[in-house]
Parts: sequence; structure tokens; C-alpha cells
Amino acid sequence: MRKIVFELTGTRAVAEMLDDVVPKTCDAVWNILPVEGMSIHANWSSREIMLHLQGDKILRLPPEGPTRRGTTAPGDIVYFWRSPQMSRGKQLAYSAQFQRELSEFALFYGDPAGGGLAADDPPRTGRTSNLQVSTLFARLIDASPEFLRKCEEIRHNGLQKLVVTRSEG
Amino acid sequence: MTKVRITLGSVEAFAELDEEGAPQTTRWLKGILPIERQAVHSMENGREVYVVLDDSQQVVDENQTIYQTVGDLFVYYKPAIFVKPEWPRHIRDFLVIGFVYERDSAIRGLSGPLATNLVGRITEGLDALAHEAPRMRREGFGRMSLSLAS
Repeated sequence: MRKIVFELTGTRAVAEMLDDVVPKTCDAVWNILPVEGMSIHANWSSREIMLHLQGDKILRLPPEGPTRRGTTAPGDIVYFWRSPQMSRGKQLAYSAQFQRELSEFALFYGDPAGGGLAADDPPRTGRTSNLQVSTLFARLIDASPEFLRKCEEIRHNGLQKLVVTRSEG
Repeated sequence: MTKVRITLGSVEAFAELDEEGAPQTTRWLKGILPIERQAVHSMENGREVYVVLDDSQQVVDENQTIYQTVGDLFVYYKPAIFVKPEWPRHIRDFLVIGFVYERDSAIRGLSGPLATNLVGRITEGLDALAHEAPRMRREGFGRMSLSLAS
């Protein structure tokens, strides 16, 4: 199994990719690494931070693997894609960027993971095409308490730089 | 009609209390004002901002709704796990006062909708809150205060 590393303000966590379950998604993710950007905390999914993929790092992947229904657990790392103009709310201050296509890594760092409003929010499947893709592709296998605390702090202190790299060891 | 001034970071808004619908909760609220606390953005309910209150005095269930809308000011007991990642296990919940500043929001408990005491409506400055809250979410949350305006 391939491994990837998340570095967040001086702390790190290691995740194992689910190569045997979603090999195409894992290949696509692996091929764009390293990626970095400013991570933001979730509003609907409880203990989750997100890294929005930008520019040539944006992934547009089809669904892969078993259908997931409300089974998100702490440590899960999900590839998420959402069609433009499908974001919730207006986000007055950030409307231009908020309504764009969304391609991201979602890192569920604690309990409850995926809880709250998101648990009652059905995916936008669309009638003729996918409007949303959510694929579990990795799980944390080694995350220090400091890393988890830094994730929580994003909620209160704002965006923090997150770097995702291949673990070649 | 009692008005409450709400400040969040650098912006100000005003809410009218629903003293007819929620007489006990609004009386209690007027008694604890002014307050200033660390503001927190919801991580489970969408566009909600709240502060944790001292819950030494129990707030009764009153004027409750599970269908919160933009501009609602409400008081409720938020499950502790949504407030702190590690909390004293004998504490089930925290008393909070908060508001919804944008659509696609609803207050949730651990297993579904959570009823909240609707204590008022934000009548002025809602757009300012809807700018300031997302900005603080990106740049770091500051203080929120509530005080009697009339």
C-alpha cells in the first residue's frame, strides 16, 4: 500500500491509500502529489478539514469503489468533487470563488466525522450526470495528537497551510 | 420591543427579542446581558455562529423550533462533542446563544434535528454578519458581544 504524508504547521500525519479498493482514484491522487494550499475547516461535516485543489492540480474523477452511506469515520480521507453552482448558500464575501467547481481532499480528523447536517444531506447525484463525487481513498494510520489539535485550531484561528506529499519510505 | 445589539468582530447588528413567544427565555437573557465571549463558527450546522454561555441557570424549553431560518437568534444546549474535541465526559452539552446568518443551515444534534428556543430575530445588520462570519472563518474568529440596545 502506498502512503501519503500530511504536513500542517509543523505537525504531520501519515495515511495509507486504499489501492486495493479504489486503484484509479489512488493513482490519480498519487500523480498530482505534492500539493499544497490553505486548508479550511468544515461547516457541515464536523471534524473535517479540506484542501481545495487549484489549477492543474484539480481532479475530475468518476465515482469508484463501494457506495458509502453515512459511514465516515475519524481518519478517513475522501476525494470530493462538486459541480459548479452547486455550493450551498451565497457566501456574500466570497461568492465568485465559492460557486466554482470544487475539487478537494477532505480529511476527517476526529469524532464526530461526517456528523451534523451533512449526515442528513443527500448527495447531489443529478438525473443524467454526476453533480458530486465522494470517494474514500485513504485512511490515517499515524497522526500525532499535535496534528489533530492543529486541525481543530483551524476552526478557531482560520486557514492554515497544508502540504500533501508522497511517502517514498 | 426590546432590541439587542450584537457585535461580531468589527461589525454590528440588531435583533428584536420575541418577548411574547419566549417570555421566560428573553427575561433570562436580558438578565445576563451584556456578555462578551469568544465567537465560534459551527462545524455541524452550516452558517451558524454562537458563543458558549454560563449554564448555571437552567433555561426552560420554550418557543422551540427545529426549522431555524436566516436571522433567527436562538438559545439551546449544544452537544458537547460539537464544542470541544476533548471534554469532561460528565458534561453532555453546553448552553449557547447563536444565530444563522445564511441559508443551508439547520441546528443538529447527534442523531437529527435539534430544537432551539427562538428568542428573537435579527432585523438590522444581517448582511454585515454574513460578510464578517466567513471572513473570520478564514482569518480567525474573534469576539462576539450582546447587549441591550433599548
